[in-house]
Amino acid sequence: MSDLANSDIAEPDQPPAGWPAPRSAYIHVPFCRHRCGYCNFSVVAQRDDLIQQYLESINAELAGLGRPEVDTVFIGGGTPTHLATPQLQRLMQIVEHRFAIQPNVEWSMEANPEDISAEKLAVMRDSGVNRLSLGVQSFSDGKLQLLERSHRGIEAEEIIQLAAGAIPNISIDLIFAAPKETLAEWTEDLQKAFSLPIAHLSTYALTYEKGTSFWTRARSGNLSAATEQLEVDMYNAARQAAKQSGWEHYEISNFAKSESQCRHNLAYWHGRGWYAAGPGAASFVGGHRNVNHRSTTTYLKRMAAGQDPVAESEAISTVQYARELAAFGIRMLAGIDVVKLSRETGVDLGDECRLGIEEATRHGWLAASDGRMRLTQQGVLFADSVAACFLSD
Amino acid sequence: MSVHIRNFAIIAHIDHGKSTLADRLLEHTGTVSNREMKEQLLDDLELERQRGITIKARAVVMQFERNGKKYELNLIDTPGHVDFQYEVSRSLACCEGVLLLVDAFQGVEAQTVANAYAAMEHDLKIIPVINKIDLMHARPDEVAEEMMNSLGTDPDECVRVSAKTGEGVDGLVDAIIEHIPPPTGDPKATLQAMVFDSNYDDYRGAITYVRIMQGTVKKGQKIAFLRSGTSHEVVELGRFAPQRQSTDVLAAGQVGYLICNIKSLGDVHIGDTISIPGDKAAEALPGYSRPKRMVYCGLFPSDGQDFSELRDALERLAVNDPSFEFEPETSDALGFGFRCGFLGLLHMEIVQQRLEKESDVDLVQTAPNVTYEIINKRGETITIHKPQDVPDPGDIEEFRQPIVRCNVIVPDDFIGAVMKLCQERRGIQQSQEYLAAGRAMLTYDIPLAEVVYDLHDKIKSATRGYGTLDYEMVGYEAADLCRLDIMVNGNRVDALSVVCNKADADRRGRAVAKTLKKEIERHMFEVAVQAAIGSRVIARETVPAMRKNVTAKCYGGDITRKRKLLQKQKEGKKRMKAIGNVEISQKAFMAVLSDGEQG
Repeated sequence: MSDLANSDIAEPDQPPAGWPAPRSAYIHVPFCRHRCGYCNFSVVAQRDDLIQQYLESINAELAGLGRPEVDTVFIGGGTPTHLATPQLQRLMQIVEHRFAIQPNVEWSMEANPEDISAEKLAVMRDSGVNRLSLGVQSFSDGKLQLLERSHRGIEAEEIIQLAAGAIPNISIDLIFAAPKETLAEWTEDLQKAFSLPIAHLSTYALTYEKGTSFWTRARSGNLSAATEQLEVDMYNAARQAAKQSGWEHYEISNFAKSESQCRHNLAYWHGRGWYAAGPGAASFVGGHRNVNHRSTTTYLKRMAAGQDPVAESEAISTVQYARELAAFGIRMLAGIDVVKLSRETGVDLGDECRLGIEEATRHGWLAASDGRMRLTQQGVLFADSVAACFLSD
Repeated sequence: MSVHIRNFAIIAHIDHGKSTLADRLLEHTGTVSNREMKEQLLDDLELERQRGITIKARAVVMQFERNGKKYELNLIDTPGHVDFQYEVSRSLACCEGVLLLVDAFQGVEAQTVANAYAAMEHDLKIIPVINKIDLMHARPDEVAEEMMNSLGTDPDECVRVSAKTGEGVDGLVDAIIEHIPPPTGDPKATLQAMVFDSNYDDYRGAITYVRIMQGTVKKGQKIAFLRSGTSHEVVELGRFAPQRQSTDVLAAGQVGYLICNIKSLGDVHIGDTISIPGDKAAEALPGYSRPKRMVYCGLFPSDGQDFSELRDALERLAVNDPSFEFEPETSDALGFGFRCGFLGLLHMEIVQQRLEKESDVDLVQTAPNVTYEIINKRGETITIHKPQDVPDPGDIEEFRQPIVRCNVIVPDDFIGAVMKLCQERRGIQQSQEYLAAGRAMLTYDIPLAEVVYDLHDKIKSATRGYGTLDYEMVGYEAADLCRLDIMVNGNRVDALSVVCNKADADRRGRAVAKTLKKEIERHMFEVAVQAAIGSRVIARETVPAMRKNVTAKCYGGDITRKRKLLQKQKEGKKRMKAIGNVEISQKAFMAVLSDGEQG
């Protein structure tokens, strides 16, 4: 227990220097052309009639913030680029109007290859978007088809080339361990990715989430998930390929060229606080984690009726804050600075999480050196287990 | 005086409207006003209302005038379930007649038959009553005929009522007065009373429910319990109307309660006889027996620290329910806990639910088992309450298990399915008869062990809910049984041992190993699950070592969700039991019930 928690004076539970002032903003765009079989995100397909109302709701939701300064903006989805060009322009106008965008901003936009056109790229670039995150998932037509993506491999390549001409920082997502995928096929995807003009790569293993058609199909034996060993091999192949290309593996599922780490996501992992708007969007402001209603239609109804779109709100304690910072911070390969974290939160992490740290160390997942705690080579495969050790004893 | 008394019970299958009819009678005789009325007035345990069943017997007196005469009707409400057969028989022994209640749509069911036979054994006047005649699909004429075929009642005597609307209830009251004989018994004779139930009041101690057979009992009088051999002074006596209402005297034919400063229900035995102390006491009434526990299971606190808390909770429950017993048990796998004995599976479920409600001890329950008998090589008979106690095969001369006679009533479309089910459970058919066109009663002798786990559910699902099952104990029979052990990484887990038929052992062993493989979370090392009989391993499954977590994205919106998920997983781990260095979840301890049918 920290001195702070034992203090007799009834002070509000907050870090010594107060809760971090958010300097990031996330806008969720729920629209998609169609829902992919593995997706359980907050999206709606075939409801473009709602877009106009959605834009005004975002405008209204952000109105109360008082135009705060932000260093990073992330427009995610769904598929933001599914919006028609004038709608996209309107969305960016709203963002510029509601936030004081700082000159050094990292402004990311998620996009699907099939929705990108030279015209949209120009609109985005002119509005200040300087980072594009493309949902490529694969360059193999067979795998793309299985994942129910509507683009082909060659189109993805062309779009990356085209986008790189307009926007400086291109990131792509790749999925591995799709049904029937072999290590050789995955290696091909990786080689292709590193040969293209991109600066950032997110890779993640296909997961079968409840509520998706993939989950149902996997349960009925209709889709066969990759073996665990193959997943490990594929993950290691990605780490190997990144290393060979001189890239940095900086977070469990993220790789970057020098200086191209995603600052917006770093803000999440560092627990720095962020604003958020849109259905299902989660914010962290003043020690509160709020999540908007996940249903797009409910979100719109609530906004239209002048009601609060928040579905869940949670005030976190400093102890929980410290535990979360450790649990999510440890996902970064650079690890966590225990002393700094303890000072900033007012919670002695080494003491608070003693049992968890011992457990993770005993398993050989966690090691400390020069004041930082890091995942070991083996621990990289067990980041969730390590996170669980930090979150509860 | 006693010529105007009528003592009767209502017997019915579950959901045929017994409690509603009781409510209506109370209302109709003015015993309770509309204002005091709440549904299922007599079921006062919360659990009873929730489940729509009667667990404890109860009595209520209804006084009213008819044709210028004052009548006293005593309704004795009995539990309907087979687990409480003994309690039912004691309640019936207090009556001169019964209302045999049958749903006008459902018709005769297995419990109806079992209860009607019990009433006939006690030589009671049976008034057939067809309930729910207001239902759109009511078929009272056919049901009356069904009752004639299966129970021998006269269709012309059937009283038709709707307990819901009150229709026909007046005629039913007339029928009760007219057809049920008044109690015999001489108020001047030596006191002789039957204890038919008891409950515990925190302030007054044991409340003993009695029917006075002969003589009179007064406040302040000394009485003796003939079976338990104890004497007490009557501090208070009275009747239920339906709340306790004290009076000065209870005389032959009447039903009521006694309070005698008895501190534990363990001292009040259902079926015992009350008389006067000394040599001049009346004869004990026939039919008394000790409660028989048919099903046993182990209950362990998942946190060893809670042992004494669990003991306190069990003691509190036992005060109110003397038919449930427990004794300390030690398991290598689960530590210190208790072996608990129940009248049947429903009784076990009820006790568990009450434990969970009334204390907050987190429990690990082992698979239920029946009581076995073993005759060893030295000719001694050993009673086995837990599989761990089964001796080595070399020391067993004969292994015996309890057999029950099951009556299953089914629409004839499902006869084939039910016969197949009963045969799979090693049932031996005794008879098959038609109750009416399209409805048959199948009678099988089946090992109780095959019945208790899920035969009822299986019959329900094989008959789309139409089949009903009832059973009674027949006795012990020798069978080809063995103890099946489960080993986890080479360590025998005593709490997972089961007794099963040798011919089934391979299938059961494979099924249990398979289920355990699913239930045991992966560890950082490989976990071997083996099933064995003696030293012979009959099945093996391997839980592979964990190689990695899922490598998924984790962004802003995921933080709360992911934190909750990870915390929950971690909390779940805490409640696991360690066998060697393998952690096993509570659910896994029920895996031994897998019968292999799910493949």
